[in-house]
Amino acid sequence: MTLFLQELIVGLTTGAIYSLIALGYTMVYGIIELINFAHGDIFMIGTFVAITILGLLGITSTSHPAGFALVAILVVTCLGSMLICAALGVVIERVAYRPLRNAPRLAPLISAIGVSLILENVGSLWKGVSYVSFPQIFPQNTYYLINNASGQVSINSVNILVLVIALVLMVSLQWMVSSTRTGRAMRAVAQDREAAALMGVNVDRIIAITFFIGAALAGAAGFIYGLQYGSSIFYIGFQLGLIAFTAAVLGGIGNIAGAMLGGILIGVIGSLSSLIPNSILPHGGDAWQNAIIFAILILILVFRPSGLLGEQVPEKV
Amino acid sequence: MSLSRNFNILLPTPDTRRLLIKWIVALLAPVVVFVLWGGESIINAVISPATAGGGVPTDPGSLIEAAIFTAVFYVVVLLLVGYLVAADSGRRGMIELWIEVIVFTLVPLVLVILFYNLILGLALSVVVWLVYFFVRNIVRKVRHYTPPPPLESLKAINAEQRSVLMNRAILGGFWFGLALALISLVVDLIYFFSGSLPLILLIWAIIRTILLPVAGYFLGRLAGTIALRRTLPQVGNGNGGNGANGSRNGSRRRERLELLSTMRAREEVKNLVPNDLPLRSAGAQRFFLILLIAFVIFYPVLDPFLFSSGTDGRLAGFGDAGYYVILALGLNIVVGFAGLLDLGYVAFFAIGSYSWAMVGSTQFGFLTGITVNPQVWPWFFWPMLLGAALIAAFFGVLLGAPTLRLRGDYLAIVTLGFGEIVPVVFTELDKYTNGVNGIVGIYSPIIPGVDWTSATPYYYLILVLIVLTIFANIRLRDSRLGRAWIAIREDEVAAASSGVNLVNTKLFAFASGAFFAGVAGAFHAAKLGSISPDSFTFGDSVIYLAMVVIGGIGSIPGVVVGAIAVYAINQFILANLDSLASDPSNVLYTVHNSIANVIPGFTFGNIRNLLFGVILVVIMIFRPQGLIPSARRRRELQHGNDEEVEVGSLDVPPGAPGFEAEVHVE
Repeated sequence: MTLFLQELIVGLTTGAIYSLIALGYTMVYGIIELINFAHGDIFMIGTFVAITILGLLGITSTSHPAGFALVAILVVTCLGSMLICAALGVVIERVAYRPLRNAPRLAPLISAIGVSLILENVGSLWKGVSYVSFPQIFPQNTYYLINNASGQVSINSVNILVLVIALVLMVSLQWMVSSTRTGRAMRAVAQDREAAALMGVNVDRIIAITFFIGAALAGAAGFIYGLQYGSSIFYIGFQLGLIAFTAAVLGGIGNIAGAMLGGILIGVIGSLSSLIPNSILPHGGDAWQNAIIFAILILILVFRPSGLLGEQVPEKV
Repeated sequence: MSLSRNFNILLPTPDTRRLLIKWIVALLAPVVVFVLWGGESIINAVISPATAGGGVPTDPGSLIEAAIFTAVFYVVVLLLVGYLVAADSGRRGMIELWIEVIVFTLVPLVLVILFYNLILGLALSVVVWLVYFFVRNIVRKVRHYTPPPPLESLKAINAEQRSVLMNRAILGGFWFGLALALISLVVDLIYFFSGSLPLILLIWAIIRTILLPVAGYFLGRLAGTIALRRTLPQVGNGNGGNGANGSRNGSRRRERLELLSTMRAREEVKNLVPNDLPLRSAGAQRFFLILLIAFVIFYPVLDPFLFSSGTDGRLAGFGDAGYYVILALGLNIVVGFAGLLDLGYVAFFAIGSYSWAMVGSTQFGFLTGITVNPQVWPWFFWPMLLGAALIAAFFGVLLGAPTLRLRGDYLAIVTLGFGEIVPVVFTELDKYTNGVNGIVGIYSPIIPGVDWTSATPYYYLILVLIVLTIFANIRLRDSRLGRAWIAIREDEVAAASSGVNLVNTKLFAFASGAFFAGVAGAFHAAKLGSISPDSFTFGDSVIYLAMVVIGGIGSIPGVVVGAIAVYAINQFILANLDSLASDPSNVLYTVHNSIANVIPGFTFGNIRNLLFGVILVVIMIFRPQGLIPSARRRRELQHGNDEEVEVGSLDVPPGAPGFEAEVHVE
């Protein structure tokens, strides 16, 4: 039981990171129906930007800033990473996707794959082909929720920070989409691009803003990923992007709350799957993690074909 | 008749003279370059093997095959000249055509010779072509280009004009043969007098000088016949005496209308370009196709004549490119025909590979306890080629069945998931699959008398498999099932209400797509001899999809070209840039050095994926519909543009004042 709770907490933090990335997928999909394969790599660039900013601030793996300095460093790094990623997202949209706005449906998909390859290569040129360490600036305090004879359940201060940042970002995104003028415009474009344009919405600008926000969230995810795991590598965006995209679909693609739910669910499923003993699956559940995630995804989609929170849209005739 | 024709060979009319000069010069230039580059050494080696240079094979088998190719080459080119002269209605200017032929044929030939590398030469010529198109568009815009009208004399076609066309074809073949023979003769004489040509080759040169014009005459005649078969005979001419027989006249009129409508229908289907673009007409394309097929079939024996070294490595590379073609064609069924986005296609390829790997290696004995005779057991490759395909198809159905309710990108993610699950299963079930280490020592196929350690048998095997796959794909596309796929791609609800069984149709799409992946997988396992689960990743699925989309989704020739193009860009060009750049005689050497001066430690290998990504994005931005879009899609685009024109021209019945019997020489 304690093991279960412990894995649940690990799953929640991983899931929070997945959710942040999944939001980018789901927003872009919602608005232009494109699977933005480059999104995971923007996240990877985000981790690298955060590492670079920390390096510029003179932080090494041995420095332990405290108090106001720590908060300032965290805020600067997070915002810097978000801004640079957001700019990158907008540039990518302008160069690789906007010229294909009216092209056959799969053309932007291939273009996205091309961008993904480019970013990955840029990452490997930038930081090399081996793991890059992420300075652990946040104090690692472990708090025990349960600590008795039956076992231990602990939560790390980094985990708490990750959850808080993710929660703040998600709540503000939800507020932005539901309550601001831009958010309304985004929803309008997602529903019917032409009608929105007729109502005076600048469609190109709204799409650019969507990419801006999605990529900024990926940048933030990159930052908290670094805090949580302490290292990054150029191909990490691909694997995490895949999982995050799965999360977006699981929740119902195009649906913001769904992406959050999907991300957390997949994080939890992934970490709980490591509890499966060797006797059931050879080499234990950890090795099968991806297979289990996708198998559950397929099962869920079989029963809810539009994802967990996706609307069951009747077919347009 | 024949007398006057002979007379005309010497004194063609001004119109015909223009056409003759145009086409003979246009085609002579590339042919002469090719002959001097590879053709000459083939002929020399055939007639006098002792004179053959280094690296050129001298065994009789290769020489006979190479000689057959040379003969095919000359015959097709002579036919082509005759055909083009007959089919040309003079709408294309001479200079324009020469520039175009030079850009399209000479540029690749010269680049291939320059770099001594087939693929790199072709890739660079693609770049040159793009630049050419760009410049041409600008020039046309500046000059307010309008194509000149067709020749007056070719509007309608009666017996007299048919003979004119025939005459032109004969003239074209004859004069081309003569010009080629004379040029070759002059070159040979120069060699002879400088003492580097043995007497036996001089005798051949003289025989050839006589043979080529004669062959040109007859082949031109054949080409003329081919061209005339595509013409529409003049309507209602010389039938004045039949006016009394009303009913018969009526039926003839009906026949004519039927003929016309079938021709129009055929034209629609093939999307024929009318005769003002003879190089792009269906007839000319057929000649090019014959040439291309001959080249592909004879390539293993031609390669040493063209490049003299590195043949086996190149052939092995083409063998790999071949199974990508099959994979792309299979994926095209699912994505292109049925419109179901599949992001996990690699799973079926993996299943196919493992099917043969687990049967055709020591793993089989390990799994079942049966000891097999390694001399005989590899025979099972042939039934297992089908077996692996069927196993893969079964898994295709297995995947398809639960996912039929899903739409669009939900389906994509499920297929993606399947593609992720399969390699994990192969890795973790190491009791059966040997886990991450994969399976080694997979048997090659067996055919008595064939040496499977060289790359040539695989080249031919994959060629046969590709031909079968293309044949099956065309038949599938045009079958009832194929039309049902296209119907559900366009509109699922409309298809269902027209009686298409969605469940079966989609399952068949998954199954047939997976079937071809299974074939490719079995071939891959046998060719490579070892497989491991980490060579089947999501990245591979994405590359297959890129092949299909870049080629032109739903278009069979497009997908073949797309697969070859993507594979060549990735494996032949980008992977070889570094080794080419290390050779000081190569152009890339200086390029590499000048970049390395700015960025220390620069290698092309480091930016390989970057270049590939840029190429993908650029291709998509400039050709979002693919390199060769499917005829259906092209027609849709065209109909959008000139609907009214089409309708208007169809409305005029034959025989009405506005109607002109068109010359359907293409």
